[in-house]
Amino acid sequence: MAFLDNSGDIILDAVLTDTGRLRLAQGDGSFKISKFALGDDEINYELYNKTHANGSAYYDLEVLQTPVLEAFTNNTSNLKSKLISLSRTNVLYMPTMKLNENSAPEKAYQEEDSKMFARGTEGGDTAVSDGKFYVCVDQKTWNAVRKYRDIANAAQNIGESNVSGIIMGFVHEEGSNSKRLIRVDQGLNTNEISPNLGMDSDLYETAYIVETDYRLGRVKPVKSHTPAAVNFIDDDNIASYYLTSDEYVNPKIGEQANESEPAKAQDNDGKKTLAALSNINPQVFAGPRGSTLHFRLQASQELQSSTYLFTQIGSSQASNVASGNILGFRSGASDTLIQNATTYYIDSTVRVVGANTGFRLDIPVRYIKVDY
Amino acid sequence: MARSFKNLLGDDSVNTRTLLHEAIPITGTIASGTYTDNNIKTFTHGMFQSVYDYPYLSSSANHIFDLTYGHSSAQSSSVNTQNAKKMNIYNQMAQVLMGYDVSGNIRNFDSDGTLDADGVGTMHHCFFMNFSRLLSKDEVKKNSFRLALYNSGTVGTVGHLASTGRTNRTVLGDYNSANQFRTSPAGDYGLLFTGSTGTYPAASSVGLVFYQAGVVVLTSSFFSSGSAAGGLHGAPGTFPTTNVVEFGSGVALTNTGSIELAQANNTINELASGFRYRLEDVDFNNTIELNSSIYFCRVNHNEFNYSANPTYVDGSKIRVKNNVSDLPVSYITTVGLYSPDNELMAVAKLSEPIRKDPNTELTLRVRLDY
Repeated sequence: MAFLDNSGDIILDAVLTDTGRLRLAQGDGSFKISKFALGDDEINYELYNKTHANGSAYYDLEVLQTPVLEAFTNNTSNLKSKLISLSRTNVLYMPTMKLNENSAPEKAYQEEDSKMFARGTEGGDTAVSDGKFYVCVDQKTWNAVRKYRDIANAAQNIGESNVSGIIMGFVHEEGSNSKRLIRVDQGLNTNEISPNLGMDSDLYETAYIVETDYRLGRVKPVKSHTPAAVNFIDDDNIASYYLTSDEYVNPKIGEQANESEPAKAQDNDGKKTLAALSNINPQVFAGPRGSTLHFRLQASQELQSSTYLFTQIGSSQASNVASGNILGFRSGASDTLIQNATTYYIDSTVRVVGANTGFRLDIPVRYIKVDY
Repeated sequence: MARSFKNLLGDDSVNTRTLLHEAIPITGTIASGTYTDNNIKTFTHGMFQSVYDYPYLSSSANHIFDLTYGHSSAQSSSVNTQNAKKMNIYNQMAQVLMGYDVSGNIRNFDSDGTLDADGVGTMHHCFFMNFSRLLSKDEVKKNSFRLALYNSGTVGTVGHLASTGRTNRTVLGDYNSANQFRTSPAGDYGLLFTGSTGTYPAASSVGLVFYQAGVVVLTSSFFSSGSAAGGLHGAPGTFPTTNVVEFGSGVALTNTGSIELAQANNTINELASGFRYRLEDVDFNNTIELNSSIYFCRVNHNEFNYSANPTYVDGSKIRVKNNVSDLPVSYITTVGLYSPDNELMAVAKLSEPIRKDPNTELTLRVRLDY
């Protein structure tokens, strides 16, 4: 993708995206343009020099020299960062989004922990931490990963509490429902504003757009296995979900508050600072906090029932491989459960976009299937 | 409420139609030997030749035009080589380009553009040049078509530039068609004259150019002597037998001599080759009809002054501001056009970033062509 010639007049290079062409070809009236947005993907605001010696006219000299790439036809490669309209000009802090890897559900008004995958040293093996959420695609995989064995005692499980970040991406055959989840919080990442002040209403997210690869998985709430309704699926199989309901945004937690208390990106009393609650605080933002999004992923039928996509776009390894075992299974071949098994996995990304402010967060996920 | 989309109102979009023209120069040596005829594709059915701009076995080759020959049923004779195929070609082209008369009979090509049955200007023996859509696009621009041919002398052998011996260079053109043209079932067509003095209606027309179809029909008697008995459009069987130009020399042609002999005794393929070797140049302008939707993306002073760019904030503090009273600044590089369900339908990129702050208003005019 080349740069645009910026030596003369300002020009606009416009193209239909692949999705636009697809809808045009469908001829069902779905090709309709009704709104626009502006983007600044190429801009690095770190180049904005507020201390330039020659004055304010030179602050954005380097920014304005940024060469601009030609338009992509791939719809997901464009407008990754949008410009935002706010009627007031006195905003100094903008909210961002962060993963909340909380391990204290009762303090955070959430069903279960929301940590990325990690396996402790219990059982005598080395710890594994991968910086991803793992999604178990079927019952067999679930059975395998929930039964890590003590290396000194092959008959003894190390216990579920020593393994985190594994999401139940299927419907359990006995009806049990692990509610480990992915949690994204919105807030101001600053110590200069007290959380007591709360989030300005015009910056508060009430809806989130979640984008996933539809070949791999669906978005589902924490409390049930019923996937959310897909808003649309583009030509690259990227499904978009527009999540506003309290199943996902500030969900109510049954066990803690009789289904009357919504989860918040706030302290229990909504006012204490991050430092003051360092031991129990579920928060990731030091400043005012906005809403919180809780969701899980359900593996697609294809991932649940076959290894085709795993071999096409994923990888695999022997489940008992001693070095670099992605699941941290105990090393050696003495564990009969995984002795002849293969671990398949596909790495993907789930994108969460604030429908209001347009801020986004890419969350790494790994779909895993242990086949034995 | 923060917003990243702005709805387009009814007067923010408009549809327009634009005609674009490209100049198409085709040097005759492409047809007559530059690639030693490796760019000429022939077929076992022998009904036409295809001319490419490069040896056609190469993936770089583009099909530029086809050549064929046909005669009307009035010229049918069992002694003619490929008699049926020549008639089939003529009738096929005539039914598409000229249509049918009130009795349902296929009209013959009529060089005077009158579509009457008076027999004046009827072209019974025709060469056809069918230009590929790659070149002609939506149509050939009127009064732009020029075809330079040699209609006398001898031509060289296959595989060599056929300049030696060719004489009487003539430039055919639709000289007066900018404001005068005719219509047919295949769209507009103009008359081809040998000079700019040709006028409508004209008995001196030597052929037709069908603008939308991208087809040129040329009477084969152009290659006979116009001053001889029978003239340009001699009635069937009255082609001149004296003062004929040689048509058909060269390795590919087994019958040398006049066009009248060639069209009776040579195959379509051989006649097409004979035509190619007399071709010096083809020039025309094509026309592309661009239907455009123009979207006026109006950016008011209080809109799009902030950004969701990850580098826009340091922590959560906006980088381009020192304090609350500073005006926010953003930079526009991209315009996205969205469907009601927020799917990106089209994207436009600015050639350089544009600064946006509360002191500026912009209207970005995005044109989508179909």
